[in-house]
Amino acid sequence: MKVHVQKYSAVATWKWDVAEDEVCGICRVQFDGTCPSCKYPGEDCPLLVGKCGHSFHMHCIFDWIGTESSKGLCPMCRQKFEFEES
Amino acid sequence: MSFAVRRLQKELSKIHKDGLPQGISLVKADDFDEWLLDIRVFGENPLYKGQRFRLKFKFGNNYPIEPPEVTFTTGLERQIPMHPHIYSNGIICLDLLSPSQGWSPVQNVESVCVSIQSMLASNRKNERPEGNDEFVARNTKSPKHINFVYDDPTV
Repeated sequence: MKVHVQKYSAVATWKWDVAEDEVCGICRVQFDGTCPSCKYPGEDCPLLVGKCGHSFHMHCIFDWIGTESSKGLCPMCRQKFEFEES
Repeated sequence: MSFAVRRLQKELSKIHKDGLPQGISLVKADDFDEWLLDIRVFGENPLYKGQRFRLKFKFGNNYPIEPPEVTFTTGLERQIPMHPHIYSNGIICLDLLSPSQGWSPVQNVESVCVSIQSMLASNRKNERPEGNDEFVARNTKSPKHINFVYDDPTV
């Protein structure tokens, strides 16, 4: 039997490229979920990977870096938190 | 729902699922403002042998960006542990709990309890901090906002 595809609807899922059960150290939500301030996961609530190798939801790490007491340091390793602008 | 409440829900469900380290137990967590935990110290340290101590955690809306306020509290068979960094009113001088010193938002209730447990376990001095009586009589500040000087790495 020959089948002729006339039309199809593509469906895709996406995931962040991190271990599946990895959570943001600040909010403890999985990276594929949103930070507590956001409703929808995905591009509006991106991850930020520091040059030190530690990742957080962008909103979570900005909340921390925005405080005076953070001194701009990574919450995990206390090195200066820097990231590649993409 | 606030950031703090969501974070604490995560912590609570993890505690219910995986439990807490030996010697640490959750006493009360009915809401997301204040939790009580008991800690015990194992080993041969005669200062704390056979005793339980009660920690009170108070969380603000900015937890975990800001540290919780953590103090020892008295109760039935619960005294304030003797320690050169613990005042007799329960206030703990520990850099980890200070917003401007050692706090990091990746800390959590469990990790704070473990730090305090080991702070007790390693202590050999049966004494209060210097100036304890005066501090306890005069202090009206919340413990988070006292500018302790963290200058004693020996205990």
